[in-house]
Amino acid sequence: MKRSGQLLEDLQKRKKRQIWLAAAGIVLITAWSARETDFSVVSVVRGFGEIVRFIGQDFFPPDFSAFRSLIGPAVDTICISFVAMVVGAVLSLLLSFFAAATTCPYRWLQASVRAVCSVLRNIPALIWALLLVAAYGLGTLVGTLALILTSVGTLTRAYAEILEEIDMGQVEAVRATGASWPQVIAHAVLPQFFPGFVGWSLYKLELNMRASTLIGMVGGGGLGFSIQKGLKLFQFQEVCVAILMVIVLVLTTEFITGKLRERLI
Amino acid sequence: MSMEVEWAPAGAARQTGRTETPARRRRDPVLTGAAIFGAVFFVFGLIHLNFDYGQLWKGTLAFVRSWAYLFPPNAAEWQPILAAALETLYVAVVGTVLAVAVAFVLAFFAAENVAPKTAPLVKGFVSLLRAVPTLVWALIFIVAVGMGPLPGILAIFTHAVGMLTKMFAQSIEEVDEGVLEALRATGAGWLQVMLQGVLPCVATSFLAWSVFRLEVDIGESTILGVVGAGGIGWEMANAMRNYEFDTASFVGMVIFAMVYSVEFATNRLKNRIRLRG
Repeated sequence: MKRSGQLLEDLQKRKKRQIWLAAAGIVLITAWSARETDFSVVSVVRGFGEIVRFIGQDFFPPDFSAFRSLIGPAVDTICISFVAMVVGAVLSLLLSFFAAATTCPYRWLQASVRAVCSVLRNIPALIWALLLVAAYGLGTLVGTLALILTSVGTLTRAYAEILEEIDMGQVEAVRATGASWPQVIAHAVLPQFFPGFVGWSLYKLELNMRASTLIGMVGGGGLGFSIQKGLKLFQFQEVCVAILMVIVLVLTTEFITGKLRERLI
Repeated sequence: MSMEVEWAPAGAARQTGRTETPARRRRDPVLTGAAIFGAVFFVFGLIHLNFDYGQLWKGTLAFVRSWAYLFPPNAAEWQPILAAALETLYVAVVGTVLAVAVAFVLAFFAAENVAPKTAPLVKGFVSLLRAVPTLVWALIFIVAVGMGPLPGILAIFTHAVGMLTKMFAQSIEEVDEGVLEALRATGAGWLQVMLQGVLPCVATSFLAWSVFRLEVDIGESTILGVVGAGGIGWEMANAMRNYEFDTASFVGMVIFAMVYSVEFATNRLKNRIRLRG
């Protein structure tokens, strides 16, 4: 009894020490980062007044007469993110069969598909847009392509993971009844695959909606372009309307995809 | 943004439809309607965007041809580029740590079960912070305080507070009501209930969300530079503006290496947290 009590106490002491060490490490790293970026509370406090004044006086009241001219870019933004999601989902659906360990015939093929997707996923959409603008010129095409690339990166991996988790027992069971290949797919594979497939696609639509409002800033069309342009021309009250529209778009998408997801479960 | 998916926030959790009976699946009219609407909207989107498919073809050729300019990557300016990469990390760390600290406090006022009076107000406020993308915050702050890392830090901080407060509050709301009840029965005050009852329950998930947010913020931080908020994004935008494609490809590799290693490290960390939690 005594020994186990001693052991527990030691363990607790060690855990406490670990926590303190980790906390000290975080504080140290943060302090170092703050020093390197000349970040100080003083500059924030001084800047804070300026920010409040700027947002309060220059941004408000929003100039709603600009609303009409912003409808076009807003529809562009919606279309870009939706089209990119659908095209990305279709491409990923095909690719995911080669990215899942259970369905890919060759290991090297699986590894290379995954590597390509990792590159597509880990370079932000905005950077892709920058790279693509040089080749495709300004416009909505660049924005859509950039979002398709990142969609393929994320969705292929997500779908592949769903494929890998499919319960082969069910597949075997359906096959044992003498079902043909399309029947096996329809009755054993799809029911397991479908909810995750739709869930992830909707989630990517949300991410695309956020990203597509930004892609405009580097020339990909949509609301981002209007925001960037308005800021450069100091038309802050118009920018305010555009930002409000971004907020509405993002929150609406979140709401709708949330509702659809609830129904899927 | 795009890397957010790796940690699949609760809402996007994969559902393997194991409990579903495949033979008799009820058709949900709303889902069917949504699917039809989606298909129609896709066609509408394609027509509305009115892509020039000739341009698509030509651009693809030009893009493939430009790969020749991308290689070999030009690492001649590796010193300023790596310095910018470090700055990107610094900005993300400072912004995230500050946001974790603020969200930690805010969350206790945003959770329905421990602060029913303030919850709707705080929740509404943070959802506004969250709905404006980090990059837009950066643009606003740049106009207000000038270029440099400061607007970047503030932008990351603002957006991260919006998201972390929501996630932290959700964790608090999941705390078993019995635990709170038991503590209250002993006569513990509000602060004591929080420290002794809530905090031990939520510590692990707070930690997990913070690590996740750091991962997202490092990704965000790489693109902040594009609009002039410091860091490696600026190097990228600069190289592309001057048509120095070989330098741009080097910057792209640095970004990829950074984001990839962060993804790798946080995956390891996530597994360890999960094991302990």
